[in-house]
Amino acid sequence: MVVRDGPGLSVRLEAVTKIYTVSGEELPALRGISLSIPAGESVAIVGSSGSGKSTLLHLMGLLDRPTSGAVFYDNRRVDTLSPSERAVLRNRSVGFVFQNFQLIPRTSAIENVELPLLYRRIPARERRERARDLLASVGMGDRERHTSSQLSGGQQQRVAIARAIAASPGLLLADEPTGNLDSRSSATILDLLLSLQSRFSTTLVLVTHDMEVARHAQTTFRVRDGLPEDPQ
Amino acid sequence: MTLVILGMRSLLRNPYRSVLTSLGILIGVLSVVVLTGIAFGAKSLVLRSIQNLGPNLLVVIPGSVTDSGAQVGGGTDTTLTAEDAQAIRRQCPDIWNASGALRTAAQVQSPHANWSTVILGAEPSYLPVRDWRLARGGFFGEEEERGMARVAVLGRIVATRLFGLEDPVGKFVQINHSPFRVIGILSSKGQSPMGMNQDDMVVVPLATLQSQIMGVSYVGVILAAATSPDRVDAAKREIRGILRLRHHIPSGGRSDFEIQAMSDISKTANRISLILTVLLALIASISLIVGGVGILNIMLVSVRERTREIGIRMAIGARPRDILFQFLSEAAALSFFGALAGGVGGILFLDGIHLLVGWPTPIPWEGLFLTVAGATLLGTLFGLYPAWSASRLDPMEALRYE
Repeated sequence: MVVRDGPGLSVRLEAVTKIYTVSGEELPALRGISLSIPAGESVAIVGSSGSGKSTLLHLMGLLDRPTSGAVFYDNRRVDTLSPSERAVLRNRSVGFVFQNFQLIPRTSAIENVELPLLYRRIPARERRERARDLLASVGMGDRERHTSSQLSGGQQQRVAIARAIAASPGLLLADEPTGNLDSRSSATILDLLLSLQSRFSTTLVLVTHDMEVARHAQTTFRVRDGLPEDPQ
Repeated sequence: MTLVILGMRSLLRNPYRSVLTSLGILIGVLSVVVLTGIAFGAKSLVLRSIQNLGPNLLVVIPGSVTDSGAQVGGGTDTTLTAEDAQAIRRQCPDIWNASGALRTAAQVQSPHANWSTVILGAEPSYLPVRDWRLARGGFFGEEEERGMARVAVLGRIVATRLFGLEDPVGKFVQINHSPFRVIGILSSKGQSPMGMNQDDMVVVPLATLQSQIMGVSYVGVILAAATSPDRVDAAKREIRGILRLRHHIPSGGRSDFEIQAMSDISKTANRISLILTVLLALIASISLIVGGVGILNIMLVSVRERTREIGIRMAIGARPRDILFQFLSEAAALSFFGALAGGVGGILFLDGIHLLVGWPTPIPWEGLFLTVAGATLLGTLFGLYPAWSASRLDPMEALRYE
């Protein structure tokens, strides 16, 4: 059922809409977007806040399901899978990096990185070794035992990136990864994401409102009010 | 397995809350173990005192039952005699011995002290029937019985009260101002099932008590010992037949006596103590359920508090069932360790009661294991709903939860 591990997962959205119902009122977040991202490419999704860009990312990452339309990974429809199947797919094929890092509180850096491997039933010893290597590769080798409250924002995001790539996913999704960081940390994080993308030829989708960040991606996709903005 | 460890780890991250949550289960198990232990102890105490009366023992008491079923003067009638006892002794094939007995209260005096106690008139066969032994000296025989001899055998307490550390054998005591020679001391027997201290009495020949102290010719009770426990029912029938014949009761008429077998009494005692045990266990189970509700409560709070963590785990690839198992194993671990601690605490508590008060408090091992297992199961069941609701969270909403 797993599409495949590692390099390059192509993602295709077909006429997806997402309508949230809040206290009986329908709030459309996406009004019909089709988008195809080839394997191994880096794409920046740009839009102002409330444009629906994050929702788009969540649909791609199978955290949420479209109200209508379809999501494909390597030409296989995935949005109709069961919650459990989607969880397995997220575990093996998708890595998430969030604006607010989303590390598990009161849990050490290395335990956070081990988590995806744990849910993949990888034996403890191998898990620990891989997590150690991963932390070292994001420059956090000396902070294994630190918990999120003992780390700076940039450090937390590096741990989060190590966790996102732990299961060597084919698709890396970053939602405003530098949104909570100062400019220096931002640059480091962005460099890290892009170097990982090129090293493993992972597909990278980057959601941002910052054109300066978007510039680093190969292509840019603009969203406005839940619709694609005309290409300039 | 990994998920179980995961559950444990999150418990350790919140040690105080974990301990407080387990406390409910701990107290529940503790009270179940302690209360059933005490009930068991009470039961063994009652059974032991019934055993003390002598095995295979049958007790014949005077008294009749009216047509309406009400007993008239049970135990106070004067229809039984020493001759009845003799007939039972001689004619019942399934009785190996019997003794009539009669009691009264009197002042007993030694040269140094006086003591108000029970005077028991008994036949020489009383001792073997009661399976009782002497601590020192001897008991009276047929000769003293026939001769209405003024001899007395003292119970342990009476001997101490009247003579202190001295040896009373060979000395004289005054009963109702008549001198009695002390010929022996009974071994200690403790409480009777009716709550009387059997060491606080003086035994004299039945005939002596009847004619010289009380001036009566009846006996208060006839004690008879069956040849073996399985002959008790047959012995009961034989006694009934003989006494009805001797008392000229027409067939169909009501007996003017009652026969109680100690084995029946111990059966009743057993039943009562079973009811007691079940009742106590039931009461204690309520606190166990309260403990379970405590787990439910804390787990619900914990799931709510950790909604975002659940969202992160789901985003990373935890399946709903992984989340379910994680929270379920948390609840199971909380209740298991709570129950275990409660069990250990219960054992210590029972030992403490035994040491301090001296009650027999056997550790109810079987019940203990059952309670610990049951409490673990109960806590896990109470954790089921919170764990299920955690596993049903929507990953997106959980991630956004503040």
